[in-house]
Amino acid sequence: MITIDGTNLSTAELLRIANGEKVQLSAVASQKMDKNHGSIPTDIDILSQKRRWMLGESANASEFSTQDFILAHCAGVGDLLSDQVVRAAMAARCNVLAQGHSGCRSVVAEALIHDLNANILAKVPSQGSVGAAGDLAPMAHIARTLCGLDGIERNRTPLTPEPKEALALINGVSMSTAIAALTIEKAWTIFEAFIWATAGSMEVILAQSQCIDPSVLAIRGFPEPAEIGAVLRQILVDSKRVQSNRRPDAFSIRSGPSVIGTALRSLRQTHHVIYEELNGCSDNPLCINGQWLEAGHFHGAAISTAMDQLRVSLAQLGSLSERRTFRLTHGQLSEALPSFLIEGTGLNSGFMLAQYTAAALSSEMKGLAHPASVDSIPTVQHHEDHVSMAPIAARLTSESTTCLADIVAIELLLMAQGLDLRQQQDRKLHPVALSKIHAAIRTDVPFWSDDHVLHPCISKIHNHIQCQTFSWPIPRLFPNQ
Amino acid sequence: MFSPLSLDGQSLCLNELVQVARQQLPVHLSPDAKKSMQHSYQWVRDSANLDMPIYGVNTGFGSLARVRIHREQSALLSKNLIRSHAAGVGPIASRDICRATMLLRANALAKGVSGCRPLLVETLLQYLNVDFYPHIPMKGSCGSSGDLAPLAHLGLVLIGDPEGTAEFNGQILPADQALQLAGLSPIHLEAKDGLAITNGAQLSTAISALACHDAKELVLAAEIAAALSFEALLGVSRAIHPSVHRLRPYKGSLACARNLRALLEGSDYIDSVPEKVQDAYSLRCTPQVIGASRDTISFAAHQIHIELNAATDNPLILMDENTDNHAYSAGMFHGEPVGMAADCMKIAIAEIASLSERRLYRLTNGNLSQRLPPGLIGSDRPVLGMMVPQTTAAALVSENKALGWPASMDSIPTCEDQEDHIAMSTVAARRCTQVLHNAQRVIAIELMSAAHALNLRKESQPTKKLGAGTEQALLNVRQCLRACGPHATIGDQIEQLRTGICNRSIFAGLPTLTPVERHA
Repeated sequence: MITIDGTNLSTAELLRIANGEKVQLSAVASQKMDKNHGSIPTDIDILSQKRRWMLGESANASEFSTQDFILAHCAGVGDLLSDQVVRAAMAARCNVLAQGHSGCRSVVAEALIHDLNANILAKVPSQGSVGAAGDLAPMAHIARTLCGLDGIERNRTPLTPEPKEALALINGVSMSTAIAALTIEKAWTIFEAFIWATAGSMEVILAQSQCIDPSVLAIRGFPEPAEIGAVLRQILVDSKRVQSNRRPDAFSIRSGPSVIGTALRSLRQTHHVIYEELNGCSDNPLCINGQWLEAGHFHGAAISTAMDQLRVSLAQLGSLSERRTFRLTHGQLSEALPSFLIEGTGLNSGFMLAQYTAAALSSEMKGLAHPASVDSIPTVQHHEDHVSMAPIAARLTSESTTCLADIVAIELLLMAQGLDLRQQQDRKLHPVALSKIHAAIRTDVPFWSDDHVLHPCISKIHNHIQCQTFSWPIPRLFPNQ
Repeated sequence: MFSPLSLDGQSLCLNELVQVARQQLPVHLSPDAKKSMQHSYQWVRDSANLDMPIYGVNTGFGSLARVRIHREQSALLSKNLIRSHAAGVGPIASRDICRATMLLRANALAKGVSGCRPLLVETLLQYLNVDFYPHIPMKGSCGSSGDLAPLAHLGLVLIGDPEGTAEFNGQILPADQALQLAGLSPIHLEAKDGLAITNGAQLSTAISALACHDAKELVLAAEIAAALSFEALLGVSRAIHPSVHRLRPYKGSLACARNLRALLEGSDYIDSVPEKVQDAYSLRCTPQVIGASRDTISFAAHQIHIELNAATDNPLILMDENTDNHAYSAGMFHGEPVGMAADCMKIAIAEIASLSERRLYRLTNGNLSQRLPPGLIGSDRPVLGMMVPQTTAAALVSENKALGWPASMDSIPTCEDQEDHIAMSTVAARRCTQVLHNAQRVIAIELMSAAHALNLRKESQPTKKLGAGTEQALLNVRQCLRACGPHATIGDQIEQLRTGICNRSIFAGLPTLTPVERHA
């Protein structure tokens, strides 16, 4: 059970709610919401006012209901969001309302929570929002179901929203933030597996250990490379193969701490931004001291930029892993392992195509890295003339994590094969930590003594990554947070 | 309906590909093609007596061409290729893409230069004719040498490997069981069969070809939407006058202006604001912008047409050459022409949508719409009119930009540096399709909004005549939207109109429009 109170909802908790855990509203937040609601100015017709600002003073006045207002925003198109994302978006919105500045009754938050706990979820098209003012269309599709406007009979009384409540349900970047939160959680899981792949490739390729020497990393200037080096040293502490007295490695090995450390900082920065957005007040107008104040808090610039930055870092990790995979499959670069990590090379092609797949995915990640947040198109008679494109940034980053998971799965597959081949050659024991990972992989994927079908091997290891078989307790916050 | 297609490796056109892929047109192998297949196959069999390396027959693959394989192991070599190369990931190709892929591979083999049995082609055509649907993952291919991994997944099904997956009569099964269910036999591979199945950019071409067909349709839909907007915004017709366009004679802009004139003929709304000398660019420059897109799509169609009937295998068995060794190694599988064409087509499609969205902005902006109500509010849509769909269109146009990186520009070395320049044509084709689908929705929104705007005009000026084509287009839009249920959202209506573009119902009864041609 997770308690929402508007102040410290973490991405990990949001993921748990997205995966089905039950939710409740804190009593303090409930009181805060009702007190705030009791203070809203009673002489202002919020929706008509907003409509006048959007359409201009010359627009004919029109009688319309709050329900009509919600339906007028249901212009989402394209593939549907997953149930997991819809749940996360509902919880994220609830957390904003629970902060008690939106002029809503606590029953609005309770309605979202009821539907979460009963798994009553809207079908929400994924496209149509520009991330300012908020994620209007997708959140309106959620509000449509919440308020019983989708024509489906259900065994509960739907919410009848007051005017401001209809607006408050939709006027923030909760969908983009939800996708961002689920994506950063995925990214961390894959990052941890990446660390294992890094250590494993170093072991297989007989890397030189100087690049992870603590005295060297201490003077790099950034703390993160030293952190990464420390983790790799722990995994390789009893390695008989990674030694100081080897010749220096190619950059894909030797610059590992620098590249991976940079990505680590980027993940933490992104994570922090998402946490702040989750617990910030992405709504408008806000009721403060009995007055409506108009601001631009629905603008998703923070999420948009953070997601774009993360996507660049993920592309760098993909590129690094793919180059290590290239070396592992290359007979002249792998320190005397057979080409494509298979005996009987020629009749067998071994893992040749595994590297192609990694290359194709790495290329996809590059293409996807184009920043969505730098674009803006004016809408609503030029009133909404600068927008964030946060949902596009978030969705592209989510897709990018899937590519990276496959790239890392491929490297882990090659690492396991490489460890077996190396052991056949040198009869040395693997480091204990790596041998456990190797054993986990071997429960599902056999050693290839001749050609097998690659596809199921990749997807099995991809599943292991998702199930956090390859985890390492890397702190996700900056040291002083 | 249509007579069955006779596949001969030389004369397949885009329309026929679409009919096979989407409308179940039956296909058979032409007798002449069968003969030339037999001829090159016989040479590959006889080459067992020749002591020389023939790539993929008695050598390994890629950089492993340096390794000689005993001829007795040729069949195993083919099988290992299919199995080890099935390295695809991600979503499965849709039924029409899969069908187009199978047809294209069959057509390439029907040229008779691949050294394989007619049985391979006959089996693929059987799959098409009984609607047997192999599952092909779409990610992981570099487009060179061809779409190895995706076609290897097709190969798994052809040989009945249980690691392959296929769908028949609504059931998704391992390949061996699926073949049994469909009453089909697996193929036992012989020398060179592995390469014959996998060596070409057929998935990239299938995706690009279907996208090209749909892009040509989109151009016409965009011109209809533009005509409706032009009329609703009381446009100035001198911008589409033929004498003007003859002076900057891009084929595409001439055609677009011609279509706009045909659709708007007789309209009382055009030229009805005497003090307005010229419109904003999103109206006035429609022929130039859509024209540039038309010409680019024509270029892509030209390239794709060549690829439809190309030999993409390696090595090619050229029986007409006067030599003992008929096996010619070349780079025919490289997907660069297809990838580059797909990237260019993607830009063209994105621009069509970008222009459309700007007209939408004008329609919904009370300061710019020639006295239409702001947001196009009216009795039909009293609250916010068509304001929110314009935001939807903006989101789609922006997403197209984010997808705009030209995939064919990237290359990453593979295969121990032997395959050191790659096309990424599959990614290019897939992104083009994504952009196309977004653009279809933008045009659907413009159709909806412009029709709505014209209805508002008609309400206030009921005696004025509409254009010859726009009047019918209005009816088509209304008819299309009737299929929406009582609880349909605006989003559902947009999707319904997108369906109307795809199934051509919005084109019904219109004056003849100049299509997008393939450049000669």
